[in-house]
Formats: sequence, structure tokens, C-alpha cells
Amino acid sequence: MNELTPHSLHRTTLYHTKCRGYFYHLLASSVVVIAVALLWVPTPSYASEDQSYQALRNWIDNPSAGAPATPSQHFTLSDREAVLEALIPQTAWKYYFFDDMDMEIAATRHYPAPDDWGKNMAPDYTMDEDGTLTGFTGGGYPFTKINADDPQAGQKVIWNMLWRPGQNDYDMPMVTWLRSESGKLDRIMEYTSVNATYALGDRSLVPGYEEVKSKQVMEFRSPRDMAGAKDMSISYVDHHRENSGWVYMPEQRKPRRTLASERTGELMGMDMIREDNNGFGGKVYENNWEYLGKRKVLATTNVKTNPEFGGPSQWVPHKTRWEVRDTHVVLIKPKADNHPYSARIVFVDAETYWTHWMFAFDKKDDQLLRMNQHFLKYSEDYDTEPPTQAPFIKQDFSKSVGHQVFLHLGETDINAKKPHATMTHCYTNKREFESAKAKQFYSLRNMISGRR
Amino acid sequence: MQSRYRLAKILVLLFPLLFISKSWAIVDLREDFEIEGYIKQMNIIQSHDFFDDAKLTAQRNTAQLEGKYYFLRDGTLFNNWSNNFFDSATFTFLARGVYDSAYDIRDSYDVLNDRGKDEYKIRESFIDFVKAPYSLRIGRQQVVWGETDNFRALDIINPLDLSWHGTRESWEDIRIPLWMARGIMDIGKIGPFDESFLELIFIPDDFKETKVATKYPRPWAFRGIGLQDVGANSILIDDTLHDLNVTVIDGSPSHKLSNAQGGARFKAIWNDIDFSLNYYYGFAQTPGVKLRSAGLDDMGVFQTVVKTEFPRMHVFGVTANYSDDRYTQSVFRVESTITKGIPVSIAPPGASSSLDSNGDGYDTAKQSVVMLGIDRPTWIPALNKLRTFFLSTQFFWRHYLDYSPHMQGNAFYAVEEAWVNGQVVPDRYVSTNDDKIDQDEFVFTFSASTTYGRAGLWKPLFVFAYDPRSTGAYNKIQMEYLYSKHLVFRAEQHLYWRTSDDDVGPWGLGDYLARPGIRRNETVLTATFQF
Repeated sequence: MNELTPHSLHRTTLYHTKCRGYFYHLLASSVVVIAVALLWVPTPSYASEDQSYQALRNWIDNPSAGAPATPSQHFTLSDREAVLEALIPQTAWKYYFFDDMDMEIAATRHYPAPDDWGKNMAPDYTMDEDGTLTGFTGGGYPFTKINADDPQAGQKVIWNMLWRPGQNDYDMPMVTWLRSESGKLDRIMEYTSVNATYALGDRSLVPGYEEVKSKQVMEFRSPRDMAGAKDMSISYVDHHRENSGWVYMPEQRKPRRTLASERTGELMGMDMIREDNNGFGGKVYENNWEYLGKRKVLATTNVKTNPEFGGPSQWVPHKTRWEVRDTHVVLIKPKADNHPYSARIVFVDAETYWTHWMFAFDKKDDQLLRMNQHFLKYSEDYDTEPPTQAPFIKQDFSKSVGHQVFLHLGETDINAKKPHATMTHCYTNKREFESAKAKQFYSLRNMISGRR
Repeated sequence: MQSRYRLAKILVLLFPLLFISKSWAIVDLREDFEIEGYIKQMNIIQSHDFFDDAKLTAQRNTAQLEGKYYFLRDGTLFNNWSNNFFDSATFTFLARGVYDSAYDIRDSYDVLNDRGKDEYKIRESFIDFVKAPYSLRIGRQQVVWGETDNFRALDIINPLDLSWHGTRESWEDIRIPLWMARGIMDIGKIGPFDESFLELIFIPDDFKETKVATKYPRPWAFRGIGLQDVGANSILIDDTLHDLNVTVIDGSPSHKLSNAQGGARFKAIWNDIDFSLNYYYGFAQTPGVKLRSAGLDDMGVFQTVVKTEFPRMHVFGVTANYSDDRYTQSVFRVESTITKGIPVSIAPPGASSSLDSNGDGYDTAKQSVVMLGIDRPTWIPALNKLRTFFLSTQFFWRHYLDYSPHMQGNAFYAVEEAWVNGQVVPDRYVSTNDDKIDQDEFVFTFSASTTYGRAGLWKPLFVFAYDPRSTGAYNKIQMEYLYSKHLVFRAEQHLYWRTSDDDVGPWGLGDYLARPGIRRNETVLTATFQF
């Protein structure tokens, strides 16, 4: 047994001194090696743009006069200050401006709504004091004009967004990529959403189901640990009524009732919460609203096809077509104290009422927490420049032509605090259900068994 | 023969590898035919005190292949012929090959004669026809009714294979699929009901009993309290030890139409309450034992002839669930059944003329089960700032409606050394039925799960189950890591414990077999390659 003597202590000290020397030598060598390695490892080179709520408010309230964005121009990083900073919300600069960026500019177009849009609406609807739309059953925009002086202008923009043409009635195969800041791919998911509008203004798609706004069935295809999981949700015309939902898990071989009112937790590892859906997927009466006016922004509003992703992290659309769009800017402040967001700002197209940009700020420090940006395509362009076919199903895109609606081709969702992002390609094709088919397809009966 | 068998085994295990380069998701072999599946290795390490004295009790290698063939869609049959009678039709199969290499690693498993070592089966194969508003699934399949998780109340159509890991596996993998027809008629809105449908199940003649291993040293053999590695060979009558010879006659239902099973379910939504009314007419899947004869023969051997009985069973059930978004932000689940035809033993035989009028120690009982469950996505910011925890709790109450203290179960026979005049008699063992039935039995379960990591790739799960009568408890602590699109790793620790005495209890939750060295605490390490 060793005894601790002055001698052994001295020896130990000498040993430690010697070791310390080796240690410092090793440390210094390691630092040099790591520093050299870091020079070679590509890392995201983000500029240190201000991503605070106040910075975005300043950008909105004090628009700078940038040079005009001329159609057919391709903008690169060199056009940032002259043109792009005036047209891309400041909060997004950190991700959307990068070395080899390439933005093709298209002429700002007029996109007509469906011919019968607004002609088959039930007239008796009102808006409550808390901004809830009551008695509205679709078929057109509930509010055809937005008056900036109207104290409920913000809510009205959102109601138009929530009842916009083309938001339902589709087959939507999807692929989602989850990437970390280094660009590392963490997960890929494949799934398909099928959706139908029931509330068609003066009638319901399925007579007897007048209380239903829309129904959706979504089924996962991959990875295998999720394959066959499917979800059915029913949303209702009555905004106060929560959605009904069931999820079928192959492992359980039966459907399970889900809770719709929890909308603020991230889902399946994705960088979004249910309330972020299309910019705002929550309840109007749970928020305070302010209309911040109109603002021109660049939007991927009618892309040629599903855009590739670029940037140091491969988080944002790259080499795709952008258009300058007039947007309504709406500030949404959750009433709940425990809500993760202090504020959310959405940019909603002033003609089509599709959301282009959404920024949500952390309640703790008013810095950006999450954002999303959407890629859209007008149905009438499907014949001349169709979107990409999904990797797992081939669709006849000519079915979409003639509907005069926008179809969602994907989005990017970024969690700035993690940081991490979820990019989705939607290979959306317009689909119109017959009444009897819809009744059968969107039924609880269809949820009691699945792929296995 | 042996080498061909081994080759077939290897081919089954390697088959999915052929598709790695093609796809990581469902593999489309043709436009109308797709396959998916996985290869999995599961190592089960049983330990007396955690990692002290650990033994590899199972090394289960599984290859599963699932396929779906869309032979009728868009009005075209087999891509050739027009057919507008059905809307769609598909053929689905699920094949599984299992090889437990622990049998070749552990010498002590030699006595099992490879029983439970491997399995190669097409577990499920069925055809789905849809012609709105009707749908029909015919073939070997699983049907799950009810609102409960991992408890048998209405989920009784398919028996379970408990032989290799009790109920601790996903029930999808341990249900024994049956040949049956399942027809559904969608009704939709009718009177005050919405989303309603009527479902009929018909099982012509495919009866299977719940599979239980009884031969030690299979790690999940159910031998009851007492000695595990020997069977009873003696009986003590008036202080005299006699040899015991038990003849068991298999009384399982034969394959004939009069032994058909079936059921019906009406499911609908009423005032946001999703409910179902169920009836199932089948056979008990765990047998009762009827004494046919017993007595000493001329040689002084006690000859006993018993027959296993699988009585007809009527199950009436009701389920409901309700999503309360306003006050509790919870989903409430209820399931209740009344079952007539539960086999029980009567001890001693002939104990009560009303209970055991035939004097054969056998009767059937009526039983009710009530389950109350609550599911709640819950924020616990101190533990997870990004995602909610999914909390799920269940409370079960099982009650014998025509209870008698003479009733006993059939599962837990205790085997003990034979004692005569205060002396142990070498190599002689006697058995007694200690499986006492309580009129009321309860169990409480709780589970919590969430995901961690930027992409939610770390998935912890905590499970707790407790039987307040026997004070037996079970815990599972699990972490799953989705390493890549192909590879999933999982580590689990299963703990069995009890706060008092050695009563196994009706649920066997804290069952550690009451013998040092055979504790069921387990560490399970699993790697899955999925495609």
C-alpha cells in the first residue's frame, strides 16, 4: 500500500509538473490543430443582422427607397443594399443573403381568383368584438376591402387568409428535410395530405355537414418508424369550436383521439408549431391584433417549380423566381402569459391573401424565435411549367389547370434559437371531391385500419 | 436439410439489404407494388441486481418484410381489365423471420430442444376491397377494438403470443393473427349520430389459444410461485407420497363451422363523444381445466386425467372518448366490458354444488372490466422547452360478478419439494394451486414521453404500472435514438418490484418469480435497420 510521504508528495509534484508541461504542450498543439481545421471546415457565415422585434418594426415603419426590381433581373449578394434590403424583411437577411445567392425577378402579375369566387356566399355573417367571424361559410372573401383605419383591419386580413381560395381541395405529397445549422441532414420525411373544403358558401360539399369547414387526412410514408401513421382532422365553420382529430398508428392498429387545442409545441421534431401553419393557424380571439399597413416584399409567389435550397445551411430557396408583392402587414400578440411568442408579424398578399412571410419573437427577449416563408404556384401555369413530380408518386398536373387558385409548393421554417430548420416540398395537385366520395374518404371508418 | 434451413435463414435476414441503395423509404418494386420492413437485433439481458450477475437471455434477430399490391385502382384490374364494381382492392402481406441466437450461445438452453428458437411465418396476408359505403378485409389479420393500451378488455379478438417476452413487446408483434373477414358499412350521419359505421367480424374456424411458455429456462416461462426448473411428479395423500401421472386431453375447439367466432361493433360520435357498442362471441383463449378422473391405480400411482376447456365467451362492451379542449386540455377514454364465460377452477373440486355441480373442479364466471384513461399533452418547461410531454394514465378495475372464494385461476401452480414427516424427500415434488382470485382487482398505469434534440431524434419513454392489491409494480425507462434514416437504436431498462410480500397478483406486474437469481429485471438493447 502506498504511503503519502513528503518524498512521494515531491515525486507526485514533479510528476504533475512534468505532466502539466506535457498538458500545456498538448493543449497548445490541439488549439493550433483545431484552429487550422476550422479554417478548412465550412461553417455558416451569417452576418450579424439584428433579428429583434424592434428591428423588424423599424424596417416596416421606415421603408427605405431601394432601386426598382426589374423583371428578368437576377439578384445576387452585390444587390443586397441597393435593392434587396428594401424588399426582404430585415429579420430574414441573416438567412436569405449569402455568397452565391441567385434570385430571379418576375414581373408583378395579377392573379384572378376563381370565376365564381364571391358569387355563392351566404350573406349573413358578422364579426364579434373579439374579432371572431360568425356565420361565415366560405365561397369568397369575407372582407373584400381592407381599410387601414379600421380597428379590426388586422383580423379581417387574417379572416381573408383563413378563407382564401385554394387553401384546400388538393392531393399534396410532401417531402420534408430537417437540417441543422451546419447543413447536416437530420431527418427526411415523406407524407401525403389530402384535403377538401366542405363549406362552399351557400352549400356544403356533403349535404348535412354544414358545420364542417374542411376535412384533411394526412398519411406518412417514411421513414419506416412513421410509415402508415395517419391523421384525420375536421375543422369547423364555428371558429370557437376546436378541431376534431384522430391519429392512427400502425403499431396500435386503431385510431386515437387527439387534442387540438395544444398548438404551441413543436411537432415531430419539425421547427414549427401548429399555430405557425400558413403564418397563423391559431384562434383569432386568443390574440390582440394590430394592422401595420401595407408593405412591398419579395415573395416566391409563383415559382417555376419546387425550389432548390441554398445558403450556408441549405435552409432557404435558391435559384428560384421571386416577385414583388403588395402585402398587408399584421401584428399578432398572444394574450396568454405562457405563450412562447411575444409577437408574431405576418405579411399576407394583398391580392391573393396567401401568407408570404411570418416572424415570431421569443417572449423572453423579443428576438426572433421562429419564421416561415412560403413557395406558391398559380394553377394556370401548371400546364406550361409544371412543378416537380414527387419522388414517390406521379400525378397528372393538368388537373390543376382551370381552377385559378394558388397551390402550395412548400415552405421553409426556421427556429432561430436552436438553430435548426425544416424545409418542405409540396407536390400539390388540385383535387375536387364528389360529395359521396368525400363522405366515404373523410370518415372515421377510414381511420380504423391503415397500411398495416 | 440443416444447411438449407440455415441458408434460407440467412437469405431472409439479408433480403432487405438488396434495397438499401434503392431507397430508404417504402420501396416501389412496380408502380402498383411496394414493400417495406426492417431487420432488428434485440438483446435482452436479465439481471438479479441490475448489472450484477447479468445473463443474456435472448438475442432475437428479426427480419420483417411487408408488401402491398394495389391490384385494382382507378377502375383497372391488374393494369389490364376495366372493373367498376369495386372502388379499389389491395393485397397486403407481412412476413417475419426470427432467430434467437441466445439458444446457440447458452448451453443451458439445450434442454429447450430449440423450442422458441426461431419462427418463419407469413403473419398477415389479407385482401382489402372497397366499394363505398362498404369495405371488406378478408384474410389473416389483426383486429383491435377498444380504448385501452396494452390491457385486455375489448382487444380480445386476436390471442397473444406471450412465450418469448410476456406482454412487454408491442402488441402488434405478439398478437396472433387469425383468418377472418371484417366488413364495415359506413353510415355517416344518422339521427343524433355522426361518423357512424357498423362493423362485422366473422372467424369461420380459426381458433388459437394465447401462447405461453412453461418450460424453464425460457426467460418468460410462467411456472407460478415456487420451483422453476422441475415439474410436480408426486402427490401427498394422508402422509403417503404417491407417484403422480397427469394425462391432459386437449379440449381446444376443432376446425368446424359450428366453432365459428364473430362480433359486431357500432361506432359513432354523439355530441363530440366518440363511442362504440361492441359484442363479441368467441372462445376463451386461456383454458380452464376440467377434472375427468383421479385416483390411485393398482400400482399405487395417482392417475389424473384432465381436459382443457375453452368455453364459449360472450363479451359486451362499450367505449367512449372525449376531447376536452376547454377546461382540462385532455382526452378522456373509457372502456367497459362484461364477459360471460371466463374459465375458473373450483377448489376443492365439489366445494359447492352450485359452483361445481359436476364435481370436476371447473366452472365459468362473469367478469366486468372498467378502464378510465386520460391523455394529455403537457408543458413541463423545466424539462423540455420545445415540446410537450405526452402523459397518459389508465386505471383498471376488474370485478368478478358471480364471485366465490372457492374460485381459483389456472395459471400459477406452485411446485415445491415434497415433505413427509418433516423430511424433504429427494427428487419428489408436489404442486398446489395458489392462484387465488380476488373479486376486485385494480391496476394503475402511467406513461410519459417526449422528444429531445434539435430534430427530436432522442425519444425517452417512462412507464409505470402498479397493482395496489399485490403492491407489485413495473417500470420501464427507455431511450430511442433515431440515428439515421435507416438506423434506430433503443435502450430499455425494465424493473419489477414490490413493496410487500410475494403475492404475484392478478396482473403479475411485479412478478420476479420469488426465487433468487431469476429476477425479471432486464436491460434491453435493440438496433433496428429499417427501410
